Amino acid sequence: MVNASRRSVLKGAGALALATTLSTPSIVRAQEKALRIGQLGVMSGPEASWGLVNKYSALATAEMWNDKGGYEIGGTKYKIEIVSVDDRNDPKLTVSGAERLTGSENIRYFIGPNTDTTATSVRPIAEKNNAIYFPYAFARSLYTKPAENAILGMIASYQVAPIMYQQLKEQRGVKTIGFVARNDSDGLLQRDEGVKVAQTLGLEIVSSSDTYEPTITDFFPVMSNLVSLAPDLIVLSSAAPAHAPQMMRVARELGFQGLFACEAAQDIKIINEVAGEYGDGLISIGGASTPEIRSPYMEEFIARYTKVAGEWNDEAGTKAYALEILLATLAAAGPEAIDDIAPFKAAIDGFSMKNPFLKEESQLTYVGTGDFGQKRQIGVPMVITETKGGAFTTFAISSVAS
Amino acid sequence: MAASLDAIAGRAPERMGGVSRVLLTLLPLAAVLYGLIPVLFAGQPYWLNVMTNGAVLSFASLGVWLTFAIGRVNIAQGAFALLGGYVTALLSTLYGVSFWLCLPASALVAALVGAAIGWPLLRLRGIYFAMVTLSLTEAMRLAFLNAPGLGGGGILNIPRPAGLDTPLAFYLFAATLLLAGYLLVWRLATSRIGWVFRSMRQNEELALSIGIDVARYRVVAFAICSAMGGVAGGCFASLQQNIYPASYTVSDSINFMLYCFLGGLDFVLGPIVGTFGLVIAFELLRSIQEYQALLYGILMIVVMLFLPNGVISLFPLLVRRFGRGAS
Amino acid sequence: MEQILVNGTILAANYALIALGITLIFSIMNVLNFAHGQMFMLGGLIVYYVCVVLHLPYALALIAAVVIVGLIGMLFEDVFFQRVMRISNREENTMLLAVGTSLLLENAALSLFGEKQRAIPPIVSGVYRIGNAFLPASRALVLVLSLVLIAAVLVFVNYTKTGRAMRALAQDRTATLLMGVDAKRISTLGFGLGAALAGVAGGLLISISGVNAGIGTAISTKAFIMIMIGGAGVISGSLLGAVVLGFAEAIGYALIPGSVTYLLIFVALIVFLLFRPQGIMGKPAA
Repeated sequence: MVNASRRSVLKGAGALALATTLSTPSIVRAQEKALRIGQLGVMSGPEASWGLVNKYSALATAEMWNDKGGYEIGGTKYKIEIVSVDDRNDPKLTVSGAERLTGSENIRYFIGPNTDTTATSVRPIAEKNNAIYFPYAFARSLYTKPAENAILGMIASYQVAPIMYQQLKEQRGVKTIGFVARNDSDGLLQRDEGVKVAQTLGLEIVSSSDTYEPTITDFFPVMSNLVSLAPDLIVLSSAAPAHAPQMMRVARELGFQGLFACEAAQDIKIINEVAGEYGDGLISIGGASTPEIRSPYMEEFIARYTKVAGEWNDEAGTKAYALEILLATLAAAGPEAIDDIAPFKAAIDGFSMKNPFLKEESQLTYVGTGDFGQKRQIGVPMVITETKGGAFTTFAISSVAS
Repeated sequence: MAASLDAIAGRAPERMGGVSRVLLTLLPLAAVLYGLIPVLFAGQPYWLNVMTNGAVLSFASLGVWLTFAIGRVNIAQGAFALLGGYVTALLSTLYGVSFWLCLPASALVAALVGAAIGWPLLRLRGIYFAMVTLSLTEAMRLAFLNAPGLGGGGILNIPRPAGLDTPLAFYLFAATLLLAGYLLVWRLATSRIGWVFRSMRQNEELALSIGIDVARYRVVAFAICSAMGGVAGGCFASLQQNIYPASYTVSDSINFMLYCFLGGLDFVLGPIVGTFGLVIAFELLRSIQEYQALLYGILMIVVMLFLPNGVISLFPLLVRRFGRGAS
Repeated sequence: MEQILVNGTILAANYALIALGITLIFSIMNVLNFAHGQMFMLGGLIVYYVCVVLHLPYALALIAAVVIVGLIGMLFEDVFFQRVMRISNREENTMLLAVGTSLLLENAALSLFGEKQRAIPPIVSGVYRIGNAFLPASRALVLVLSLVLIAAVLVFVNYTKTGRAMRALAQDRTATLLMGVDAKRISTLGFGLGAALAGVAGGLLISISGVNAGIGTAISTKAFIMIMIGGAGVISGSLLGAVVLGFAEAIGYALIPGSVTYLLIFVALIVFLLFRPQGIMGKPAA
């Protein structure tokens, strides 16, 4: 059933047998071999965009390789199939979705889920069924021993903050800083981590107590307080792409002159639509792909992504990495890794490939020893961007220490 | 409406004896839960997990059904599931208490809190009670989010229950729990208390005037409901090994209410049929991905349009038709 | 201090449109419209589509939102709610239907408009100063439009024949039927008007902050809070509820920094209802 649906998305993949039922684990087609990769995440409701970007990114990468005849692992070319499961950000559905992927569908590798709540719920299933997963959630316990099946797909906010604030302090002379956080677990944790970093750097914290409900419709009351304290920098902790531009517009309308910073990825189209003329001066963690640093391969990916999803989303610049590095690691580990994660795990530490998405020559590896004590993070380049004239421009490029 | 409920409650031959009446009601459900489902899905952890979700959610919905029985639309079950989840999480991670003790503790705390909040709130009726319980769900989430000591975050690494290592074992436990819950609610609904509940739903003033301590019965029903929600929350916390303030939100509370509606408010079996129906329908609709949730909504509307009194109301309808055909 | 007043006034005006709509529907039909927030969201997204995708003027977009969402409301009432109310045993069963329609609208919007936050370029720019307070021109415009619409609705229900029939129907259904009012038509119109108000509120808000497909449930919850404060089914109560919630939010965010504003609102609401179960303006239950 999942196969049938995936094909309806993978338009042009050809009419294939739809007769996969619940109990049949997989179809083996005559000539070509298939490599099935799962994707589990929130794809409906308010957070739908998080999982959908994962899905579209994986589909785009899969299509690109399939057009070239498949991905070569151990001398055999495999067609890549993406099996998507929507968990609606509900841990109950995540658990059954993970059982579905790793149990019924017998898939060993999947991308997602998207939040701490769902990712920590998946852990027992993934460990029981021997699967590797690539969450986009920051909970440290997922990546720290004894856990060893999760690989963080992006850069965590607590890895961004020290570098970002340091750069702002040195390059822009930021001395005072204020925080406003989303009132949920992620937002409050990110704020607390940010406050610690600011203290270490010797910045003066003017306020760190303002928060807003995730369901807010008007930021005027929330921002009034903070703007009146006139800090050099306002940090929008864990601000959703939907909210950050609203907060910027309101703060500017209230007369705020300083800079904004956000450790989460933002969306330039939304910033232009929502904040319009007030959209400048946001320092955020970019989608690892500003025009200045893109390789032709990234351009190709962007074109394909746009075809799959309808429009480009800057977040996909980060999410492009998961399937690409997953496939390359499988190739390095050899064909037996397809059904057994042990060789894959063994290959992680020594793995290195040319980063296909960057114009400049650089290596893509797994990182994370500093934060997690083991390499359980994709070494996505940390591209810090600044909004200027309706576009993301490169503010600083850095990386997570291995 | 009362007639149909009474018909169910009093359908078994009058003096058949308690035991056989219980068996008559329990056996078909037990056969499905212990026979059909394990045989069908034994080797499929995914479906076993779906069925486990269905069973535990049904258990919580049964509680909500009980508040429907006293004429209150309860949209607070998510709050008590959250509370129960946190009780189990805190006891097992901080003090290493066994799951088998955490669960009754969750029930107890949820029942006490339910009684304390319910005592004044149950004076409200109709839409006001519905909306205030909805607010309660939000309030509970915010309370845990801001609780000092919890740091706004969730609790992770909750141990899995000892002895329930396989999906099948957990499923069988959930099925047993559901059966016990069903027995409890069925027993309440068919006893004198059930009669009291019904008379309260139809006319509280009248019930009061014939000397029923309405306030006490209301609180008892609500506390039992809350306890069942707490147990469900505790189960899920140890099944998922985590709990977050956002684990149960308003939409969860609304879902518990919907399960009851969908199955049929006039039948104790209603919440079970409604829960399993919607949970399984959602999984089957996965094949159409982006339209999954859309069709789920349409399905709900269609059921309402043609079976506004719940799916189970189809059966008396059929029985009547066949009965007429035969005679 | 002035800023709090300005903030509260803007919030209250927008909330009032939402509360007015849900109250109309509740008082006439006795249906708790769980899909109200989704109708709000749809109104916003329609304005986005007309303005940003079709490049048509904002005024036209607002009219489109009113007409389309209003028609959806009338369609729902005519096709779904009337039938279910006729054949179901309990009135509460319409709740399930309302939740079904909310899921339907939300997911239809997700398919049609995508998952992203949508907003439109500001209609007017500039910022006014009132004492120490800032009032951006775009917000001032929304405030004025909201107040005009609220006044128009009040005039309609108080001074027109159809409007009076709606009020009569809300007060005493049986008596109104006996007086020969076409209750079916009035109910459909009332539902449509309530929905249209939600749509226009969304259409106004998208010009100052933006709307996404998932915002519905949050808006519905706020609408419920307002009618609980004011008194369900009473028009003056809904306006009062909007003012109370708007100012509670504005004051709370300003004076109680930290995350407890909404927790306090909920706790206060629950306590308040214990003493006044029918809300501020509602009549005590019979």
